[in-house]
Amino acid sequence: MNSPVKGWCDRIFEAAVFFFVCIFVIFVLILIAADIFYIDKRAVITVLTSRFIGHALWMSIWTSLVTTFISLFFAVPMGYALSRLRFPGRILADTIVDLPIVFPPLVVGLTLLVFFSQTTIGRWIQEDLGLEFVFQPRGIVLCQFVAAASFAIRSAKTAFDDVGRRYENVALTLGCSRWSSFWRVSLPLARNGIIAGGILTWARAFGLFGPLMIFVGSFRGRTEVLSTTIFLEQSVGNLEVALAIALLLIFVALVAITIIRLAGGSTVVKL
Amino acid sequence: MIRTERICFHIGEFRLQDISLQIAAGQYFVLLGPPGSGKSIFLECLCGLKKIDSGKIYIEGREVTFVQPRARNLGYVPQDYALFPHLTVEQNIAFGLRVRRYSRKDAASRVAGTADLLGIRHLLPRRINGLSGGETQRVALARAMVMQPKILLLDEPVCALDEGTRQEVCSQLSCIQRRLGLTVIHVSHNLEEAFSVADQAAILHQGVLQQTGTLEELMRKPDSEFVACFMRCENIFRGQVIGPGIRQQTRVKVGDVGLYVPGEHYGEVKLMIRPEDVLICPNYEGRIRGDNEICVKLVRRRNYGGYVRVELDGPFNLVAHLTDATYAGLKTEQGADLIAVLRPENIHVLPA
Repeated sequence: MNSPVKGWCDRIFEAAVFFFVCIFVIFVLILIAADIFYIDKRAVITVLTSRFIGHALWMSIWTSLVTTFISLFFAVPMGYALSRLRFPGRILADTIVDLPIVFPPLVVGLTLLVFFSQTTIGRWIQEDLGLEFVFQPRGIVLCQFVAAASFAIRSAKTAFDDVGRRYENVALTLGCSRWSSFWRVSLPLARNGIIAGGILTWARAFGLFGPLMIFVGSFRGRTEVLSTTIFLEQSVGNLEVALAIALLLIFVALVAITIIRLAGGSTVVKL
Repeated sequence: MIRTERICFHIGEFRLQDISLQIAAGQYFVLLGPPGSGKSIFLECLCGLKKIDSGKIYIEGREVTFVQPRARNLGYVPQDYALFPHLTVEQNIAFGLRVRRYSRKDAASRVAGTADLLGIRHLLPRRINGLSGGETQRVALARAMVMQPKILLLDEPVCALDEGTRQEVCSQLSCIQRRLGLTVIHVSHNLEEAFSVADQAAILHQGVLQQTGTLEELMRKPDSEFVACFMRCENIFRGQVIGPGIRQQTRVKVGDVGLYVPGEHYGEVKLMIRPEDVLICPNYEGRIRGDNEICVKLVRRRNYGGYVRVELDGPFNLVAHLTDATYAGLKTEQGADLIAVLRPENIHVLPA
């Protein structure tokens, strides 16, 4: 390994910072192990065979994936605009992008519920346009999008900030328009950050719970996702089943992140 | 040919002010100036990467002031080369060709030709990470040249290279420029670099063009104290004209010493004499023998490899650059009494 010659002071420093890594990783592993040892065979079989839990898993996967793609669809142009363009209100727009990150998640659900049930525009969308969101599966995606898109936008903006303008300038002198320099230069160079933002968005959407309970509820076989299933199971006393579902959630998240990292190569995604 | 008429541009507090330049076709033009003088910004204005506040830019007789960068047909190499790290060397060089939808065959042939010209064919399959400084510079140059532009704009193209590679790249740049008949604008803060390539040069300072001419003109006949200092004229004195001299000369008093300088001058003046033009001889008799000679004492000397820099104390402080052989011939040491000869024809005079 290419590292400098170390003295005892350096080794103590490295040991100290590594200590914090160990503490955190071990703590998380202990928590997961506690769950594993708590559940029994019956709970595992119930989770693997229940039609409703299977449906909730499927709902969690497809809604979070759709949310991630929609978020990235917005995040890429928004990140570029916030990074490159100078327009009146840019700082305000930049701040508003971060708002959903600092909102308590429940507020997202409440705000959406109020918007669609109490405002003229919301009622017009639901009743006149026929686009129903409240207590509907598409409401899950909307809820996840509002709660999670900020991660994608923030990551995309940071990624474009990191791509030097000189690359784009050179591309312009080599015959590119702004449009083609974006596609050929800026976007490929910002790819890692955008994928990282996508993973964060997906993770947030996949595990979202509070706002979903308020905005779409948890109707078996309809708007139920894994996170709300865990709540329902533990609320009726099925703690083993709730924990087994939680482990399933963790397993799916681990598999997904590993696949993205492997597909992107070792240098692509550095969260 | 490139012509700019009274270009003005501002960014924050910095201003480019009324830059008017004319660069003939096939000329190697070096734009000199200290860091922060606006050289790179001027180049970006020429490329169209910065929209100028006022003025006009003409390239090959066509006004391009409001023409987009891609339509100006200029080759541009930025200071950090800005090679695209997600592409290979070959893809980097072929970038402009791909954008302009050249066929794969044509693009490959042009890339190979340009790579051969610059001696980088062996690098084509390599990725950008891992190229040496000299290799990176050549790849950036190839990327700019592959479109066969008639004008190349080089922003500090060799400043990141070591001394040996810098010399090599400069002579290669000069050869290519002459062989292809390119017009080159080369931005630099380094005089040695300018001397190795320039046909013409200009000096920019705080956004203002100070002087344009050959390097010899900038060196021998600077228009201002700044240009003289930038061209490393270390001997600049203030003097008072005290009367006419013989043979169209003027007599100027500097401190307690009277010096003959060329031309007619009045009032207060600045005298400039280059260190290499200060002649030094031993003072055997302890007194001066003629005009424009002054008694000095050697204060300090330092060998810079190619020459010896000596600091002299006298009626006014002087710096002289001597060859190793000349210095050895003086057979002198620190504190020795010497005579400095300031020939009138070597003194440049400016109004104070």
